[in-house]
Amino acid sequence: MHIEAQERDDVLLRRSAKGDEEAFTQLYRRNQAQIYRFALRMTGQPWAAEEIVQDVFMTLVREPKKYDPTRGPLGAFLYGVARNRVMKHLERQPREFSLELKDSEGETRMLEVVDDRTPAQWAELRERREQVRSAVLSLPPEFRETVVLCELEEMSYEEAARALECPVGTVRSRLHRGRALLLAKLEMLRESPRRANAGR
Amino acid sequence: MNCEEFANLALEAIVYGVGPNFDAASEHLRTCPHCASLYESWQGLNGGLRELGQATAGASAPSRVEMRLRQEFRTIHKTDKNRERAILAAWLLAAATFVLVAGAMFFWRQQHGLDTAKGTVAPNSTVPTVANGPELGGTMIAESDGEQFALIPGAIPALQDETSVVRVQMQRGSLGALGLTVNEEHANDLVQVDLLVGADGQPQGYRLPESNN
Repeated sequence: MHIEAQERDDVLLRRSAKGDEEAFTQLYRRNQAQIYRFALRMTGQPWAAEEIVQDVFMTLVREPKKYDPTRGPLGAFLYGVARNRVMKHLERQPREFSLELKDSEGETRMLEVVDDRTPAQWAELRERREQVRSAVLSLPPEFRETVVLCELEEMSYEEAARALECPVGTVRSRLHRGRALLLAKLEMLRESPRRANAGR
Repeated sequence: MNCEEFANLALEAIVYGVGPNFDAASEHLRTCPHCASLYESWQGLNGGLRELGQATAGASAPSRVEMRLRQEFRTIHKTDKNRERAILAAWLLAAATFVLVAGAMFFWRQQHGLDTAKGTVAPNSTVPTVANGPELGGTMIAESDGEQFALIPGAIPALQDETSVVRVQMQRGSLGALGLTVNEEHANDLVQVDLLVGADGQPQGYRLPESNN
């Protein structure tokens, strides 16, 4: 069965609920990346993000009627389900996170960007990125998700508010507080090596 | 603008280069080294966040997730289809059973109704009269007036159009043979009785005309 690229998510979902696998695949491909990125940035663990994506779309397969098109776009609904899964995952996790991304086989996985930086610049960039990643992951979940959606996913306040099911003002204040916390965390992370070096 | 206002209101505006506080914040930034340092930190954070965002911008779930989901989708919907088929089959079976039972009942009732019709004469049926009375004593030809006949014990009812009604005079005591209770004091009285006589000449039913009462 041919599916138009611009076909609406709710139409695809209706067809998927009737057993149209192609419609489901289209729906999955259209939405999986944003859910995966959100889960990855929230948990810092690719295997957890993978599990969360699977859980979210299984909800769509098993209980398609949970989504009400009158309440908003499917993307926001999927974010809502993903958020619940992420929160459950975080509740089970210890408070400390690894600074490095590990894939499902336990191998360290770094996302490389090809450019003409020197090795020293690369090392500095990697260190900075790791510091930011670590600082983001150490934020309390409600601030973290706001930072992830607004700063990393580059959503507008309105989109983030829809995804987080809260008022725009709450998003704005959480983001402000989240940034302040991030700054403090980054300062701490930068200070600790200096202190360690000074102590030697 | 003081440092607190700068940190709370204007920092975001100046970092993103937007908002009504931008000019005032820029002015404060030039004169306050503490806020300039804060501003640098914010810029550093923004840069770091942007880099982190870019580094993970292309991330997407591995293809095995899609494979697993599609497999699960097929399993679930295959089970659903099987369940639907089973439900349909059950309904068809129930419908077939119902039709069978209804058909059997219809034929049984038809058969039973036919037997009943044989045993009784319809109240308004026109029974043909006969010109010659039977050999049961004084005879008189009578027309059916719609009253039902009581079946004589042991008689086999014939088809309606093969019967005729004959009015006879008989002793009241003889009614005992038809299964009626007879007052012995009047056993010798003569009474008129309508007999339903079959084609074989055998009486099948009787009734007492109102003139006897």
